[in-house]
Amino acid sequence: MKLKSLFLAALILFLLLLPTFAGKYGVYMTIHILILSVFALGFNLLLGYTGLLSFGQAGFFAMGAYASAKILLLIPSLLLGTIAGMVAGGIAALILGYLCVRHTRIYFSMLTLSFGMMIYSLAWKWRDVTGGDDGLVGIPRAPFTIPGILSINMTPMGNYYYFVLAISLIAIFILYRIVNSPFGLTLKGIRDSENRVAFAGISIRNYRLLSFTIAGLYAGLAGSFLPPLENTVTPPLAHWTHSAEPVMVTLLGGIHTFSGPIVGSILFYLIKDIIVRYTQYWLIWFGSIVVFLVLVFRGGVVIFFTERIWPLLSHHSPPP
Amino acid sequence: MAKKITRRRFLKNAVVGGVALGTGLGGYQVTYGQAKKTTGPIKIGGQGAISGAHADYGWQMMAGATLAIEQINPKGGILGRKLELKFMDEELKPATAVKNARYLVTDWGADFLFGIDSSGSAMAVGPVLPELNRLCFVTHGATHRLTEELVYQKGIKQIFRMVAPVYQDALAALVFKDNPEIKRWAGINCDYEYGYVAWNLFKENIRKFRPDVEFVAAAWAPFWTMDFSSHISAVMAEKPDAIFATPWAGEGVMLLRQALMLGVFDKIQVWWQGMGGSVDILEGISREVAADKFKGKLWATARYIHNWPLTPENKAFVDAFRKRWGKFPNYSAEASYSTIYAIKTGAEQAKSLETAKVGAALEGMELKTPAGSRLIRKEDHQAIYTVPAGRVIQSPEYPIPVLGDLKVIPAKDYYRHPPFTPIAATK
Amino acid sequence: MLEKLLFQSLIGLSLAMYLWLLASGLTLVFGVLGVLNFAHGSLFMLGAYATFTFYGKLGLNFWLSIGLSLISVGIIGAILERLFIRRIYDIDLPYQLILTFGFILIFDDLVKMVWGGVAMIPPMPHFFEGNLSIFGRAFPIYNLFIIVAGLGVAVILWLALEKTWWGRMIRASASDREMASAIGINIPVLFTTVFVFAAMLAALGGALGTPVRVVAPGIGTAMIIQAFVITVIGGLGNLKGAFVGALIVGILTSFGILLFPVFELFIIFVVMAIVLMVKPEGLFGK
Repeated sequence: MKLKSLFLAALILFLLLLPTFAGKYGVYMTIHILILSVFALGFNLLLGYTGLLSFGQAGFFAMGAYASAKILLLIPSLLLGTIAGMVAGGIAALILGYLCVRHTRIYFSMLTLSFGMMIYSLAWKWRDVTGGDDGLVGIPRAPFTIPGILSINMTPMGNYYYFVLAISLIAIFILYRIVNSPFGLTLKGIRDSENRVAFAGISIRNYRLLSFTIAGLYAGLAGSFLPPLENTVTPPLAHWTHSAEPVMVTLLGGIHTFSGPIVGSILFYLIKDIIVRYTQYWLIWFGSIVVFLVLVFRGGVVIFFTERIWPLLSHHSPPP
Repeated sequence: MAKKITRRRFLKNAVVGGVALGTGLGGYQVTYGQAKKTTGPIKIGGQGAISGAHADYGWQMMAGATLAIEQINPKGGILGRKLELKFMDEELKPATAVKNARYLVTDWGADFLFGIDSSGSAMAVGPVLPELNRLCFVTHGATHRLTEELVYQKGIKQIFRMVAPVYQDALAALVFKDNPEIKRWAGINCDYEYGYVAWNLFKENIRKFRPDVEFVAAAWAPFWTMDFSSHISAVMAEKPDAIFATPWAGEGVMLLRQALMLGVFDKIQVWWQGMGGSVDILEGISREVAADKFKGKLWATARYIHNWPLTPENKAFVDAFRKRWGKFPNYSAEASYSTIYAIKTGAEQAKSLETAKVGAALEGMELKTPAGSRLIRKEDHQAIYTVPAGRVIQSPEYPIPVLGDLKVIPAKDYYRHPPFTPIAATK
Repeated sequence: MLEKLLFQSLIGLSLAMYLWLLASGLTLVFGVLGVLNFAHGSLFMLGAYATFTFYGKLGLNFWLSIGLSLISVGIIGAILERLFIRRIYDIDLPYQLILTFGFILIFDDLVKMVWGGVAMIPPMPHFFEGNLSIFGRAFPIYNLFIIVAGLGVAVILWLALEKTWWGRMIRASASDREMASAIGINIPVLFTTVFVFAAMLAALGGALGTPVRVVAPGIGTAMIIQAFVITVIGGLGNLKGAFVGALIVGILTSFGILLFPVFELFIIFVVMAIVLMVKPEGLFGK
């Protein structure tokens, strides 16, 4: 589908040129969209591809955010902060995942929920390390430095945007390769038919654990982008209601497509931003959209578009 | 496989191109903050808690500021330009507060910022202000660290605090130091910085006058605590003479009600409710006060009370506020009202709206406000003004309880001043 | 020391009863209908708002207000079940959770629109003012009432499920829906009644809390997680387990505040995780 590549190219060009025409706030919002996209993509590796619904991803996001913040407060190196966040999310996911993946369905979901909330209560109570309720403040938007080679000042929002954009694109690309690899195919097999895969001699638990860890890595990465942007990290980042965000936007975009989480993230921020200009009551609209989607169009916006709209526009039959 | 390779190669190219472009465009500089417009209305951006158990405070801020704007605009506004207000929900979350501040300045074009209910939010917004290059007048967030650390130590001159800080909550030390029968103090405090600091400051201060005082128990309640009975019961088990309590707004009302239910006021001699003089709490407990359930043992202060000082300015403000909104003004309303007038005074003195110039003009200025004379201290941009402590009573002159038997202690007697030694911000 | 602990346990017991009322409905809906309703806390919140309106604003009799609140929220529950919940019985878990989560958002904004975002506190009914002396400390009469009410509900629920014809139908449908339908039980109608009953239980919890707790958006959501913890500990779908779980969580929380003020939040979730890992069916599950 040449058209898909063209569309992708256009989108990337749009993103690259964004700061030249969008206001500072527009750039700021786009960074948030990128953060949510990376977060949700990792989440969907677990849900869409492995069939596991995690309600505790916010815990790993928060680990990434706090780790990044602590590093940045000590060593002003953006790269170090980002790596620290990713690693923190990944390690936490590896450890907790080991405990979670032997369970499935509702028990798995509840277990992830409890772990996420444990991280939340730790962030809340461990004042000495996490700043407790008030969180960590005054986190610098450190420069992007590779010692001896270059140092780019990140204070202008536009510069930070390009940093986040570059890393996000790389991360998205890597994930795309993962889901289309044999590993990804095996995950789908586990999702659809556990027993058959087990009979083929594959360790289901290990595959699930790997999937969970990758999701944690991505959550940590997304989390690490936040402190330099907002200069502050607080416990609600780990709360289960934040875990609900990737779930919702993935549903919005479509659980069974790769780009679903990205589309969902874009729509989430657009919808919220538009609604908030007219009324403070945006939750009721968003909740209604969610309810509508579950009842009427579970495939999400992407499938809705490719199966309903696109055929009308192009007189083609929908893609297989 | 053709299309996959195309996409893959394309993505790779895009990424490389993106990084190159980004580094190149790294020279592309988005200016620090945004220049202020020189025509059209002067935009004042505010934020506070407008939902949840603390929602009255945000509303009061908006109400106070609106009243001031409605008085100033017909008289020509500031420097010939009218004022426009936009008020957002802080949700008592620092991340939201920062987001709002950015939105108000970079998207909506605010020339000045004010408000902020929670200390955590104030501490988060502070460091962002130099980047946004706007003055922010904090009208509630009470942590001492805002002025002592961010302004005095770190030099973030864009922060001004118009309202009395946590020094006010610890006033109990001066009020009860001469009561020898009150020896055993217990604390029911907010499980976040405000609570820790208020309690530690109180303990520090009263120890200076009364080395014999004992702190027998302390319970900690986080935000959104609905049921304080466990906390009250844990503390009362140690048989205190007096209780020092900091939960505020709706939580304060619940705490007092639940304390009544647990028979606390039969046992203790004094209950000090830090911000009990706040209008929403007084309204919430009016029935109980009318029935004298607190047995005259409930004492409180606030960051402004409408019935003091008895000056014409204060009376005019209270009357105008009641006429406009049908309620008594709270301290967040008075602080916001005074903020708008402070901006006017500062801008007119500086003959400019430029952040640095207005800020410089306000330093050391003594403003006449409903709460009395407010001196904006140069070193830390903290407004110094006196607010009395009093007993919560029913008075025939007012439809809701007020603070009576007032103890007026000049602010300079208990406000901290530079150089500042740190207060423990832990339990 | 012992008295201190016993008194604190009593306080914890009254706390546990609110949780029990919330968790019982949640358990009923999961056990019979197979849906984990995130929005159950919203029904609790609506019960509180309804009682505040009838009793606090309109000044009606306290008992009447509670009754009217139960009816109102029951009606809302019926509408919810017939129009929405009915459609998600057999779909995948993620979609179920997300739909009910969507309703949390809707209800939160709805109450803000109708009642405003400001928290409200109604007056305490006169006959409940005052306290009893237990272990030499003052124990509020209202808390005693809550404990009695909670136990009463437990007894009523048990009787309803064991001894009535409705209860028998519910138990049959819970274990085997197809069979139950085959022998003539009208499943759709039955399920609606179960959901309505659960909604009324949640509303009762909210309603009883009104004189002592603030009525604000989000009060239900704050408790729903604790309700989840309880149902997990007790065993998803197990009412006896929910009751015991509520006792555990309520008393642990109360103790936590007395003895380990730093960790009370953390402890609850650790217990939940341990139960899930060691005995996922819960203390009473099979």
